[in-house]
Amino acid sequence: MERREQLKEYQKVTLITLVIYGLLVATHLGEFWPFSIYPMFSQAGNPWKRAIVQDVTQENIDSLWKTTDKNGLPGKTVALNELNVNTNDIANYLSKTEVWTPKKQSGVRKLLQKKINESNLLVYQARGSLSENDKPKVDFIPYLYLSSDTTLLNKDLKVK
Amino acid sequence: MNFWKNLFKTEKGPTKGEALFFKLFELFVVIFVLKYAWQWGPYIQQIGEVVLPLGIAQYIDVSFMFEHNISLFSAALISLFTIMGFLRIFPKYSYLIALGLFHLHYVSRFSLGEISHGSNFIGMSLLALGLGLFFFGDKPVQYRRFIMGFIFFFFGLGYTSAAVSKLIGTGLIWPSGEHLWLWIAERSVDVASAKGQFTPNMIQEWIMDYRFLGTLSLIFGLLAEFFGFLFWFEKTRPYIATALIMMHFGVYLTMSIMFDVYIYELLIIGYPWAKLIDRYLNFEENPFLRKTYRWSMKIS
Repeated sequence: MERREQLKEYQKVTLITLVIYGLLVATHLGEFWPFSIYPMFSQAGNPWKRAIVQDVTQENIDSLWKTTDKNGLPGKTVALNELNVNTNDIANYLSKTEVWTPKKQSGVRKLLQKKINESNLLVYQARGSLSENDKPKVDFIPYLYLSSDTTLLNKDLKVK
Repeated sequence: MNFWKNLFKTEKGPTKGEALFFKLFELFVVIFVLKYAWQWGPYIQQIGEVVLPLGIAQYIDVSFMFEHNISLFSAALISLFTIMGFLRIFPKYSYLIALGLFHLHYVSRFSLGEISHGSNFIGMSLLALGLGLFFFGDKPVQYRRFIMGFIFFFFGLGYTSAAVSKLIGTGLIWPSGEHLWLWIAERSVDVASAKGQFTPNMIQEWIMDYRFLGTLSLIFGLLAEFFGFLFWFEKTRPYIATALIMMHFGVYLTMSIMFDVYIYELLIIGYPWAKLIDRYLNFEENPFLRKTYRWSMKIS
């Protein structure tokens, strides 16, 4: 009898948690940590946006504002792990920012601060998609140029 | 009713193996909570602005966490309450308070737009510990049964939910090989960005050459996730745990993404370690084991 009551208690706490879980993920686009519907990789074949940072200290910035492919990237790729910066954070920062306010610009500068003091950086957004023959195609678009005292933005970005 | 009985094992008598296994599992959760707390604490100080408010950050401005080392203070508090929970000091509330602070820590760390799932299972395990000690804290056998059953239930549900999300998000064509090509290209940018360069491994090269290998790999992953609910049943648990561990290794080999904590946790909770401890270890003859057991009982 006692075990039966105990089981009912377990069941009750689990089901109430399940209801709260459901309500929270339903009202927060599938995520309310630690609750989640685990939607990672659910949108297969969709175009994606990532980011890469190039050290362009030796380059002339005026010639770099053009979309390129992987082989056309100037300078040397900066290893973000060495700066203790997660590449996903830069990628999402670029893709989720619609208007580049001074605060947004200083947000990127803060993340890359350690490197900006010694090098000039060009932050690229990488855009990948499947081409007509189902092969992946990746374009690299220059977004922000950062040096110790300058921030320049791609002319196509919205600035406030 | 049989389903819940099977999940929580209320009919089984308690054993020493179960008690020792539980405390070791709890230690695993505590170690990873501390790891995340101190990994994220300094990182949060580098953040300048909230780009994507998640969870509680939709209601309060969490940018106060970015300055004056507040996130380090938060990491210290999470550590304090988690260790208090482990030592059963203020047991009814310690883990739940740690979980609340951990949520704030998570939404601050991931306020730049990335939605990370790497810590969700540790978060769910901390919730299970918190609820177990809150509702059944004065009866160790009861809270152990509740906590493990609760974890089995939500882990199984999580994996199955991941498969259903894929079927809803893309449909039955989700496992097409070219989809994996696109993800490998995405990861090639990520890895180059993180490490400065990317060199594909042999498996990635094979998959890029032969589309059907990518398709097979994705079919396996989707099926393993879909059958995640088999975690709810004691008899099928080791098999689905093995399939899911293989799936996680597959993700690592094909996409260079390592969900290491998921693999560790599956290894710990997916197999009948408590039974094996009872069968093969003699607590009376082995002084180290006897001491470990007694110590773990003191803080149960």
